[in-house]
Amino acid sequence: MIDTRYAIRLDGVTKCFGDHAAVSELNFDVPRGAICGLIGPNGSGKTTCIRMIMGILNPDEGSVSLLGATPDDVRRKRVGYLPEERGVYRKMTCTEFLTFLAEIRGISRTEGWRRSNDWLERLGLGAWANTRIEALSKGMQQKVQFIGTVVHEPELLILDEPFSGLDPLNQDVLEEIIKDFHSKGTTILLSTHLMDQAERLCERVCLISSARKVLDADLKELKAKERTGVVAVSFEGSDQWLQGPEIDYIRESNGELHLILKEGADHQSILKRGLEYGVKIFRFDLVGPRLHEIFVRHAGTESVGDAGLPKNATMELQ
Amino acid sequence: MPVNVWVVIRREYLQRVRSKWFVISTLGAPLLILLFVVAPAYFLVRGGQAEQKLAIVDGSNVLYERIAPYLVGEGFEVEEERWYADVVTSLRKEATEGEIWGFIVLDELTLDTGEAIVYVTTRPSPIRQLTLQSAITRAVMEYQLERQGVDAEALLSGGELSLELLSEERTSTEEPQFWVAYLGAFFLYMVILFYADSVMRATLEEKTSRIVEVIISSMEPWHLMLGKILGVGAVGLTQLLIWIVSGFLIIAGGMPLLVSQSPELMQVESVFSTLPGLGMMTLFVCLFIFGFFMYSGLHAAVGAMCNTDQEAQQVRLPMVMLLVIPIAMVSVVIVQPMTAMSTWFSLFPLFSPFLIWARVASGGIPAWQIGLSFLLMLFTVLVIAWIAGRIYKAGILMAGKRPTLPELWRWVKEA
Repeated sequence: MIDTRYAIRLDGVTKCFGDHAAVSELNFDVPRGAICGLIGPNGSGKTTCIRMIMGILNPDEGSVSLLGATPDDVRRKRVGYLPEERGVYRKMTCTEFLTFLAEIRGISRTEGWRRSNDWLERLGLGAWANTRIEALSKGMQQKVQFIGTVVHEPELLILDEPFSGLDPLNQDVLEEIIKDFHSKGTTILLSTHLMDQAERLCERVCLISSARKVLDADLKELKAKERTGVVAVSFEGSDQWLQGPEIDYIRESNGELHLILKEGADHQSILKRGLEYGVKIFRFDLVGPRLHEIFVRHAGTESVGDAGLPKNATMELQ
Repeated sequence: MPVNVWVVIRREYLQRVRSKWFVISTLGAPLLILLFVVAPAYFLVRGGQAEQKLAIVDGSNVLYERIAPYLVGEGFEVEEERWYADVVTSLRKEATEGEIWGFIVLDELTLDTGEAIVYVTTRPSPIRQLTLQSAITRAVMEYQLERQGVDAEALLSGGELSLELLSEERTSTEEPQFWVAYLGAFFLYMVILFYADSVMRATLEEKTSRIVEVIISSMEPWHLMLGKILGVGAVGLTQLLIWIVSGFLIIAGGMPLLVSQSPELMQVESVFSTLPGLGMMTLFVCLFIFGFFMYSGLHAAVGAMCNTDQEAQQVRLPMVMLLVIPIAMVSVVIVQPMTAMSTWFSLFPLFSPFLIWARVASGGIPAWQIGLSFLLMLFTVLVIAWIAGRIYKAGILMAGKRPTLPELWRWVKEA
């Protein structure tokens, strides 16, 4: 039965490489039109998961449904897939390469040619259309790779670490394009280990750690549910009022002080104490927790190292 | 065939055909042949043609009329000079003044021994020397034989030998056919391996540059492999056809032109006349196609299971070593094409492209064996395609360690 509500459904999917389980009993849906983040540290199984969605790998157990059924050739052509490890044909010109990618997804040659040039213009590469890709800078090549992902106007975009290797300026450009596709109704699944990025872009998140799903929810609901924990403050005067039983620890973030409260603690009592101490309080703001904190809370600190790497970082088996 | 495969074929074909390398090697090879084979012969003769005007002092009174037509036929301009006391001195003067290139003095001794003196201003080319010498000895022999009432012309043109074969045909290494068979087999070996190697490199490059994941997310890996093999094969075929056609043009058009200019090249032409005809060329192309399919399938699989060029060369090595066998056997097979060993080795599909050629070119194979070898090759192509397709699918996304043999077997079983 074709379920039209979901662009992607994973049902009890497991994939092992030898003795190592890359993905374990994963259930996970992406509703049509949603922009969803697949989040987890490097080596947590994101790429394996995406490859199974694309039908490049077959799951050992469970089932994958892409655009309503098994990921066959016809469906895969309706998907724009940007792998984490992406390459180009270096000897081809930009337009030739992009037209080729459009053609293997069933777009006619002339139409592919036209769209390629439109996109190159749009991303400021118009002057390079007939240049061999090997002559382009790395940033330009990445733009070409991205155009290759969308040139056939897919109804579902699957982007594996789309921001890796991009400079901040191009990250913004890419973010805008992704938002643009989203506003036009394209379903988007993007994997990233950068929590901030996911937080800015995604409506839904699926957190994966060590091959298992940790959390899968609407980001707004999630934040509302986990809201109680963090208070952002700015004040003038002694900081003695910040020593109390309600506060677990204090963290400075972007010049702001964040009070991380213990579970069930009442923030009102802190405010009251501040007033008693005669401190000038400019801001006392109950903020939603950052995705990072939610992730740490659910996956446990042991799974996240300093740079988002698992402590026993091993290369993902492919 | 799926549209995708055509798209891959076209990309592969156009990218390669438009490359500098292709243009240079395709045009370069015939030009090189022209340069190394035809040009030296041509210039040798042309160099001689400047040495034209020759006076002949005939002291024997019988040789001039026999020598003159022959030398004229070879491009000399000849004039007879009567014998008188100071003839040598005055002709010497004419020659140094540049009026004639040189002169020949024939006398009674020439009639007995063929000895003669040629006075020249510049050293003649070896071919020119030989022409002069043979003109004189031929004239002397003609004269002497005719005196004894013998058919001198028939004898001197080399007589005639009728050949009656009593046993199976054997080609000796002296014959031009031997070289057609030998060089043809070797050439097949080179082009087949070269293009199969191209498939391996292209596969490896797609794998290491990581473009392959994008491609196979839109098409079956098996289709990508097929497109790649057919595209590269089409490039090889294009090159072969250009070579064959240009070779025919050179021989069919160029040689008669050259020979009409300088009859000395007749000898070179007679070598060309032993070259294979259209039927043999068709066989050559078919053997290339089948050989290429077999070896490119194997090479594609090797490319897919390796990560670096060195690694791939290592894995490929046993395959290349195996090919030493047919190449080492080519000369034996040519000389003894009908023995059991020649038959069995040439029917082994992986060796057939080289050894069947050798046997056909040396004329030692029944037609049914040619047919059988093609059937066996077709079967092998299909088996290799099936196995290679599976290895390709499993290997193309693998990174890290190269698979062991048991792992390879698992890939083939599970894919």
